[in-house]
Amino acid sequence: MKSSFAIALNTFKETIRDRVLSVIVVFALAMIVASLWLATISLEQQARMMKDFGLTAVTLFGLVVAVFAAGNLVRKELEKRTVFFIFSKPVGPAQFIVGKFFGLALTVFLVVLGMGVFLFVVTWLVAGDAAGSVLLATLLIYFQVVVVMAVTVFFSTFASAILSSVLGVCVFIAGQLSHNVLSLTRLGEGEVLKALSWVVFIAIPNLAAVDAKPSVVGEGSIAWGQTALWLGYLIAYMIVALLAASWVFRRKEF
Amino acid sequence: MNESGRRPAALSAVDLHKQVRVGFRGRKLEILRGVDMSVDRGEVYGLLGPNGAGKTTTIKVVLGLMRPSSGSVSTGDLGRERIGYLPENPYFYDYLSGREFLHLAGRLFGLGRGQRRERVERLLVDVGLSDAADRHLRKYSKGMLQRIGIAQALINEPELVLLDEPMTGLDPVGRVEVKRIIDGLREQGTTVVLNTHILADVGELCSRIGIMCRGRLRWQGTVAEAAGASPGGLEGFFMEVVGREE
Repeated sequence: MKSSFAIALNTFKETIRDRVLSVIVVFALAMIVASLWLATISLEQQARMMKDFGLTAVTLFGLVVAVFAAGNLVRKELEKRTVFFIFSKPVGPAQFIVGKFFGLALTVFLVVLGMGVFLFVVTWLVAGDAAGSVLLATLLIYFQVVVVMAVTVFFSTFASAILSSVLGVCVFIAGQLSHNVLSLTRLGEGEVLKALSWVVFIAIPNLAAVDAKPSVVGEGSIAWGQTALWLGYLIAYMIVALLAASWVFRRKEF
Repeated sequence: MNESGRRPAALSAVDLHKQVRVGFRGRKLEILRGVDMSVDRGEVYGLLGPNGAGKTTTIKVVLGLMRPSSGSVSTGDLGRERIGYLPENPYFYDYLSGREFLHLAGRLFGLGRGQRRERVERLLVDVGLSDAADRHLRKYSKGMLQRIGIAQALINEPELVLLDEPMTGLDPVGRVEVKRIIDGLREQGTTVVLNTHILADVGELCSRIGIMCRGRLRWQGTVAEAAGASPGGLEGFFMEVVGREE
């Protein structure tokens, strides 16, 4: 536990001091500010437009930070050979993976939350609409991003940093569409297709199920009971991804 | 002391083999071909050999960074929490300062805050990096990295220290400082395994040596025995042992 904490703290310092992160955050904030201009196009729905555009920016930039940092997280330690330093100490593979993950998760949390709060303040000041739901949606965006991050960490234990990041982005996209897979069960009558659809549905994290953006921009409301269940599923998904990453790492030699 | 008048072993390897697969076709490469070695408690042991002899691999197997294909290695009752290690050509975290890096090493060993702080400050003085303690490691020279690497290897006050090429990149002053540190460890009764190419340092620092070549330990004994066995002294003897194998 102490080792995981030490590694998490170190990873947090590593990622928060990375200049690339600052550049991405500045871009994200600029995108949110740009939503002000976009919102002027439709004066009647200014707040709605700002939230819609802003939350999309929070999702995209949060995803970019999480996926590209996660792809490098373990790879960099292997390539720079800092794993020698780590594993010559009483540190196990699981403690290492968990520490790396939570360190980055904290950085991503600050980045996503920072963007969310900025969006909240901008919406409030410009459109006079102080919607707490923006912050709630930001929190759920963080959940989506962090699940993808866990899967990317798993990929990075055996694939290159770039490939892991690309696969992470693919998982995110698939996660937005995974509910469509179930539609296949209605199209086909075969039991095999039905079973296969369910397997794919379970294997791909259903990220759209915890997406609060439609309700924030006024396209329906959040079904809290269902969202809580899906959050439970995503947490389990994260744990499985990290366990798998630890298992792969345990078999490695340095 | 045991029956043979030697102290008990801090590290022993018996018939250690290590095979790795290389290339696209997974060709087998035998790095260790039956290493038998024994390092007594409290001694400074020099592990010598040409490049590719298997010295670093032996150390990695001792630390558990690699698994042996067969054979066994033991550090007795010393777990990793009682072992210190300096990797060859160390690379550490660029974005940490020297002080932060030593604190990280201390945390990984589970040291409490007070203990960590005391040891970090003492080691920074010992390795001559007090003035550069708050500088980021990316701004350190190779010699400074080597010295901070030695400091992290000693943060847990280990009973067994494995130093892989500790003199690499050091200027004469740095080498004197590292020798002083190793001398200090010997006086404290710490076992040190020194993996090095520099025979002059071995003569000065080590009580016993092992000469590795092509994955085997070809010779093991005291420095005096080695130096006396050849008209060319330690260097001549080393060349003879390595030459026999070549």
